[in-house]
Amino acid sequence: MGIFAMASSGDSFDLPAQTETFVTGQTAPDSSDDAALVRAAQRGDRTAFGQLYQRYAPMVHGVLLAKVPTSTVDDLVQDVFIRALRRMTALRKCASFGAWLAAIARNLANDYHRRSPREEQWPENDSQHDIAAPPVNTDSRTQAIRILQAIRGLPDAYREPLILRFVEGMTGPEIAARTGLTPGSVRVNLHRGMQLLRASLRPDSRQIEQENS
Amino acid sequence: MMDTPNHKSNQDPLGDYLWDRTGEPEPEIQKLELLLGELRHRGPVPVLPVESLRSRWALFANTWWIPAVAAVAAMALTVFVTFLMLRNSHTQPATVGWDVSRLSGTPQIAHNTISGGSNRLAIGQTLETDDASSATLYSSDIGQIDVDPGTRLRLLTMGKSLKKVALDRGTIHAYIWAPAGQFVVETPSAVTVDLGCAYTLHVDDSGAGVVRTTMGWVGFKLNRHEAFIPAGAACATRPKIGPGTPYFEDASETFRAALSRFDFEDASAEQRAADITTLLTQARRHDALTLWHLLSRVDDAQRARVFDRLKALAPPPAAVTREGVLRLDQPMLDLWWNQLGFDDIAIWRHWEHSWPGVGASSAEK
Repeated sequence: MGIFAMASSGDSFDLPAQTETFVTGQTAPDSSDDAALVRAAQRGDRTAFGQLYQRYAPMVHGVLLAKVPTSTVDDLVQDVFIRALRRMTALRKCASFGAWLAAIARNLANDYHRRSPREEQWPENDSQHDIAAPPVNTDSRTQAIRILQAIRGLPDAYREPLILRFVEGMTGPEIAARTGLTPGSVRVNLHRGMQLLRASLRPDSRQIEQENS
Repeated sequence: MMDTPNHKSNQDPLGDYLWDRTGEPEPEIQKLELLLGELRHRGPVPVLPVESLRSRWALFANTWWIPAVAAVAAMALTVFVTFLMLRNSHTQPATVGWDVSRLSGTPQIAHNTISGGSNRLAIGQTLETDDASSATLYSSDIGQIDVDPGTRLRLLTMGKSLKKVALDRGTIHAYIWAPAGQFVVETPSAVTVDLGCAYTLHVDDSGAGVVRTTMGWVGFKLNRHEAFIPAGAACATRPKIGPGTPYFEDASETFRAALSRFDFEDASAEQRAADITTLLTQARRHDALTLWHLLSRVDDAQRARVFDRLKALAPPPAAVTREGVLRLDQPMLDLWWNQLGFDDIAIWRHWEHSWPGVGASSAEK
């Protein structure tokens, strides 16, 4: 059962006003600022946890999207933050919050696959997206799903950075700062993953060109 | 576009749009951003369960009683501590260790089958899984280790700056969020040092092992023999020999077979030369990883060949000279490594300097 169903009204986080867009473009987030928020959240500051949610939810969403069906991701994002909230006081190295959160997300995704029968692990089709997603051009959504599937077909190391870059709109430095990975490895995996993605999509591209001609 | 660019973007005057959106936008990447952006996180504001922060902290909203309770608690604590000190001058340290959960079967800690509840692997204890058992270890400060069936794992230390386990046999999957260099796994033939990553480590009954890195990178070390394994790469190790040469797992079978012979077989000089030729001719751009390691593993006669091929695949920085590399000048080799774009080797050098004894003698045990 997802968190939505468990909740009663009025229990939402105290989210601050939308003062920050996640996609900042050029610079990585300030980790010392995040550490202060983590410390505040550990003391029970709901607004601080809300801010952490706002900052890290796209990263968690991307990590999950690399491993589980799209229709499941939003519920699992919430599960990740609930699990983090419950364990928050045990986290002593506040600067490791992002890496810690990413690990929780990966674990939940692995749990999902352990629980789910093999044939139900990738039930991606357009009808399932209509519930959560805003109305969009069906063709472009179909294409997006096809590309997402191609990314999911790549080795683990390349899925997350590509999804965080293209789906969540994060830059490489932001991906490194949020996930706790080093910039060097993120950059390598982005470029190598992009090469593999190009190779993987090439037959599709030809097919689309042929259909259009 | 190079597939393993240096991560210092200020060395790339044209910018790198894929990395940080600097430079000329690439139409193909912009199209991917546009299409996949439709799947971006737009989740609703999350909702806390009943036992949330609110309920935990609401108790403290009215605080008039806190000073009185605190004073009584402090007095009780003082009496209790004094009693304990008088009773036993040797205070017992709190049990430190990893939380252990059973995933399947009947894993054992110190020969006791663990229950489904909370369990702890303490320093000096051994976790063992039989062929039908698996378990997971968790530490909020370090990471998580999934333990496959047929594994024997011992907890050696839980120091502030160094946490060590020993994998005697079997397979673990480590997801580490502790700072780079703090988590170390000893095996019968080498130690692995986490440098910010997720990886799988397997050790067979003979003590031979292999590490496969999923994210970040791993250092593999025995005495002065060291190997660095970035995501997507693997490296084998053998007792009394230590780590072999790392390779990307998408390398051809021929490439990998030649590397395995070179690393671990007592081949003739002709065979070694033939294997090096295979490695040099089949190396792709990102196999610079393998060639960089080979520089310090081949004999003097072969080193120039490796240098020339590596230079063709990944030109070194200006400060790195042929003469310097041929005499294995460490700072020059490090500069070249950094130019390959895998990660900053300074992280590793700092770790080595901090822990000179770690990985110095595991094969002799």
